[in-house]
Amino acid sequence: MHHEPEFPEYDDDTLRRLALLPRTAPIDPAQADRIVDQLRHEGFFRRRGSIARRVAQAAAAVAIFVLGALIGSRYAQRNSLEQMLTRGNLTVAERVLLLQRAGSAYVRAAHSYADATAQVDSNAVEVASRVLLGAAHAVARNRLDAGLSARLSNALTPVVAPQPIIWF
Amino acid sequence: MTPILPLDPSDDVLIRRVLAGDEDAFRRLYDRHSPRLKMTLRRMLGPRREDADDLLQDTWLAGCRALHRFRGEAKFSTWLTSIGVRAALSHLSHRGEQATEPLAEYEAPTGPEGGSMIDLERALAALPDHQRVVVVLHDIEGFTHEEIGEQLGVATGTSKATLSRARHALRLSLNEGASHAS
Repeated sequence: MHHEPEFPEYDDDTLRRLALLPRTAPIDPAQADRIVDQLRHEGFFRRRGSIARRVAQAAAAVAIFVLGALIGSRYAQRNSLEQMLTRGNLTVAERVLLLQRAGSAYVRAAHSYADATAQVDSNAVEVASRVLLGAAHAVARNRLDAGLSARLSNALTPVVAPQPIIWF
Repeated sequence: MTPILPLDPSDDVLIRRVLAGDEDAFRRLYDRHSPRLKMTLRRMLGPRREDADDLLQDTWLAGCRALHRFRGEAKFSTWLTSIGVRAALSHLSHRGEQATEPLAEYEAPTGPEGGSMIDLERALAALPDHQRVVVVLHDIEGFTHEEIGEQLGVATGTSKATLSRARHALRLSLNEGASHAS
């Protein structure tokens, strides 16, 4: 014959104490890291981690490249000769620099043209002379040259009306 | 890209995410279930309660390795506890009997009941391993004898008989303690 075991019941005091026993224990925060490390070592999180990291790295690289390109383009545009000529808020030093850059650009353009053509082109000579003459007049009008441009204008005038050629 | 976890995701959601390799989901699951699991393990270990951290780690590692087999027929906490119970029993059987730790090793719960709670913890710790495990699972954690039988690999009747003996021993131990105090 089968007998169900008897369960001696606890007295009220023991029942109360059992109910009051703490049900949780504090956990060591570093333990989760140790378990994660072990699971990662076993390949549990590797796949997701490496893909996410690669995507993040690629996104960061693209973002840095685009940001650099934007900043570089903006900087170059802002400091181009054309942009500086249109700006009204330049300092005196910047305007001097602008004058130097414009002059250098003129000289480089002339060299470039001369290098590109084997023969002297009368059209180019005329354009170059007129630009130079116009610049000299502008400088003279604004009294920026202590009389130098007037002499330059005089010197350039014969280009428009050629001197007689002396043959030896 | 992995979607952001909701504020209070269910265990099922977290488990799916863990299986997909989501480390954050694992940490959420760990933080949710570890405090209770650790206390259960500590009580089951009795005099060897200091090994609870190692056992907690072993339980989570075993749980994660077997997570793909979790079908959700029982609550995740029940499933995980059953892994912890098996680990604790294995640990206890390998380590053999050790001397009970001194009274100071049991942290006194706050409040006026502190002393009597330590007595109860000590009386629990002094029980033989299998009796202590059954008392912890049945009288403290609320598992049924059928669940305990499954977890321990014994018949339901064996669990009931063990509990009967354990309660008797516990009552004797507590009465003995009370008569010493008086």
